[in-house]
Amino acid sequence: MSTASLKLELESLLRERRLHADGPPLRGVRRLSPLSTGIAAIDDLLGGGLPRGQLSEVHGSASSGRTGLALALAARTTQAGALAAWVDPADRLDPASAAATGVDLTRLFWLRGDGRSLAKAASAVATLLGSGLFETLVLDLVGLPASELQRLPAATWIRLQRMAEGQSAALLLLAASHVARGPGGVSLTLAAKGPLWSGAGPGRLLCGLDAEAHASRLAKAALELRL
Amino acid sequence: MLLDLHGLDRAWSEPERLGQALLAAARARQVEAQVALAHSRVAALVLARVRPGLTIVPAGAEAACLAPLPLALLELEPEQLALLRRWGLATFGDLAALPAPGLAERLGPAGPRLRRLARGEDGQPLVPTPAPEAFESTLELDWPVDGLEPLSFLLARASEPLSERLKARGRRAAALSLELRLVDGAFHRRSLKLAAPSGEPRTWRTLLLLDLETHPPHDAVGAITIRAEPTPARDVQFSLLDPAQPSPEALAETLGRLHDWTAAGRAGSPALVDSHRPGAFVVASFVPGRPARPAAANPRPALRAFRPPLPAQVALRAERPVFVAAPGVRGAVLDCAGPWRASGDWWDTAWSREEWDVAVASGVYRIFRDRLRDEWFLEGELD
Repeated sequence: MSTASLKLELESLLRERRLHADGPPLRGVRRLSPLSTGIAAIDDLLGGGLPRGQLSEVHGSASSGRTGLALALAARTTQAGALAAWVDPADRLDPASAAATGVDLTRLFWLRGDGRSLAKAASAVATLLGSGLFETLVLDLVGLPASELQRLPAATWIRLQRMAEGQSAALLLLAASHVARGPGGVSLTLAAKGPLWSGAGPGRLLCGLDAEAHASRLAKAALELRL
Repeated sequence: MLLDLHGLDRAWSEPERLGQALLAAARARQVEAQVALAHSRVAALVLARVRPGLTIVPAGAEAACLAPLPLALLELEPEQLALLRRWGLATFGDLAALPAPGLAERLGPAGPRLRRLARGEDGQPLVPTPAPEAFESTLELDWPVDGLEPLSFLLARASEPLSERLKARGRRAAALSLELRLVDGAFHRRSLKLAAPSGEPRTWRTLLLLDLETHPPHDAVGAITIRAEPTPARDVQFSLLDPAQPSPEALAETLGRLHDWTAAGRAGSPALVDSHRPGAFVVASFVPGRPARPAAANPRPALRAFRPPLPAQVALRAERPVFVAAPGVRGAVLDCAGPWRASGDWWDTAWSREEWDVAVASGVYRIFRDRLRDEWFLEGELD
C-alpha cells in the first residue's frame, strides 16, 4: 500500500476514532478491553462485552432474562478475582440464584434498600464508583415505582457517567424500560418470548427463558437469548 | 505475694539482709508479713504461709524443710487429699518418699507432679502475666475547637502517635473509640468497628470525621482521646498469578462512607445458610477472601424475590393452578411445572411447602402453597 493511501486510511480511522484492533497500543493511551458478560452470544452482540468506564443498561419486560444476564456478568467478574457490587434498592436479589449462576458470594457486595430511597442508592453507587475497588457495579431499578424514578434528578446519570469515565469498572442499570446510558455505553433491550420447559408430566422443569436481545448503537441484528 | 528476686544478689549479697529489708518495708506500711526466701516457688509460698517472720531455705534443702509440713498446705483437689489420707500419707515428706512410677500408675500424670511439688521442685518456670497495654492517645487543646475542619487536623495529630505504637507492637486497630471532652464538661463518645483492621491514621481520621458528620458534638471540644482496640497485623502473601487484591484501608474507608447501610445490617456479602429452608441466607461482613478456583459461569433464570412473599389467590383445576392473583400479578396460568414439595425444621419452626413455576401472560413466577397454613404465596419472578 502506498504512503498516500496509508495516510488517507489513518486519517479516516482517526476521524472515526477507531483504530485497527490488531494494531499496537498507542503510547500513553490506556485501551480497556470490554468486560465479558459470561454469555458468549451477548458478548458477540456487544463486540466483546460491556464497555468499561461507561454507563450501560439492560432493560426489558418481566422474565426476559435481565437479572440472569446481570448475574452472569457478576459471576464472570467474581470468578476472575475482581469485586462486584449489586445495589438493590428494592431488595430483590436472591443469593441462592446468584450462587447457582456461579457468583463468588464472598466477592459480591450487596446493598439492600427498602424500596423508598433511590437517591440514597444512587449516592451509594457514586461512592462505590469513586473507590475504584469494583470492576462491575449493577444498579437494579426493576420493580421500583415509576414515581421513585421520576423523583431522581436527570443529572444523576450524567454525574455517574462522568465518575465512571476513565475507570476500568462497568456500571450497569437493570430496568423495565430505557433509563440512561453513557455516550460509549450500550443499551441492551431484552424482549421475553416465553419460558422453556424440559420433560413432561410430574418431572417437568423450567429450564430456561427465551428472549430476543437487541443492542442499540450497534449495527447488529437481534438474536435469541436462551438462559 | 510472689517476688522473683533473681538478679538481686549484686545489690543484696546476703539473703538475711534482703529478707529483713522486706519485713521492714511491710512493717512500714502497717502490714504483718511472713517472708520466705527459697530457690523454688512452691517452697517459698508454702513456708511463708506457715512460718512467722523470716525463713531462709538454702539451695537443695527445700525437700527437707517441707517434709514435716501437713499435706493440706499443698493445694490439692479435695478428692486427691482424701485419697492420699486413705493411703496413710500425712506430710510432704510422706508423699515425696513414694516412687514416681507407682504414683503415675495410680494417679496418672498428676502423681509425679504432686511428688515434685512435695519435694519443693517447681514444675514450670515463673512467667509473669503482663498487664494489658492500653493503646490510647490524648490531646489537650490550648483553646476549645468548634467545627469539623479544625477537628480534622487535631484528629490526625492524635492518631499518628497511636498508629506508631500499634505498628511497633505489630498490631492494627480493629475498632476505634473517640472521646471528646466538651467545654460544658460533658463527653461526646463515639465507637467505630472497622470493617477491616487498619493501621493508617488517614483512614482513621476519615472514618471518624464521617461518623462525626452524622453525630456531631453539641459543644466546642476541649480535649480529644482516641483509643484503639488492637488486633495482630495480618500478613498478606500476594501471588503473581492472582489479580491484585483491594487495599484493606481503601475498603475500610469505602465501607465507612456507606456507614448508613452497613450499620443497619443492609450491606455486606450474602452467604447461604446450610439449610433446606428456601431463602435461607445471612448478610455477612464484606471481607473478600482469596479468589476461589475459577469455575464456569452457569447463566440461568434468576429469582427476583419478594420479601416477604406476597399473599396470592390461586385457583386450581385437577390439583394444578389455573389462575393466579397477587399484587402486581394477575392472569390465567398458560403453563406450569410442579408441584415440588419440601419441608423441614420439624424439631424447631416447622415448614412445609409445595412449589410451582407458573407462566402467565405478564411473565414467569414462582408460587408456593404453605401446606401447614394452606395459604398461597407469590415468592418471586423468574427473570
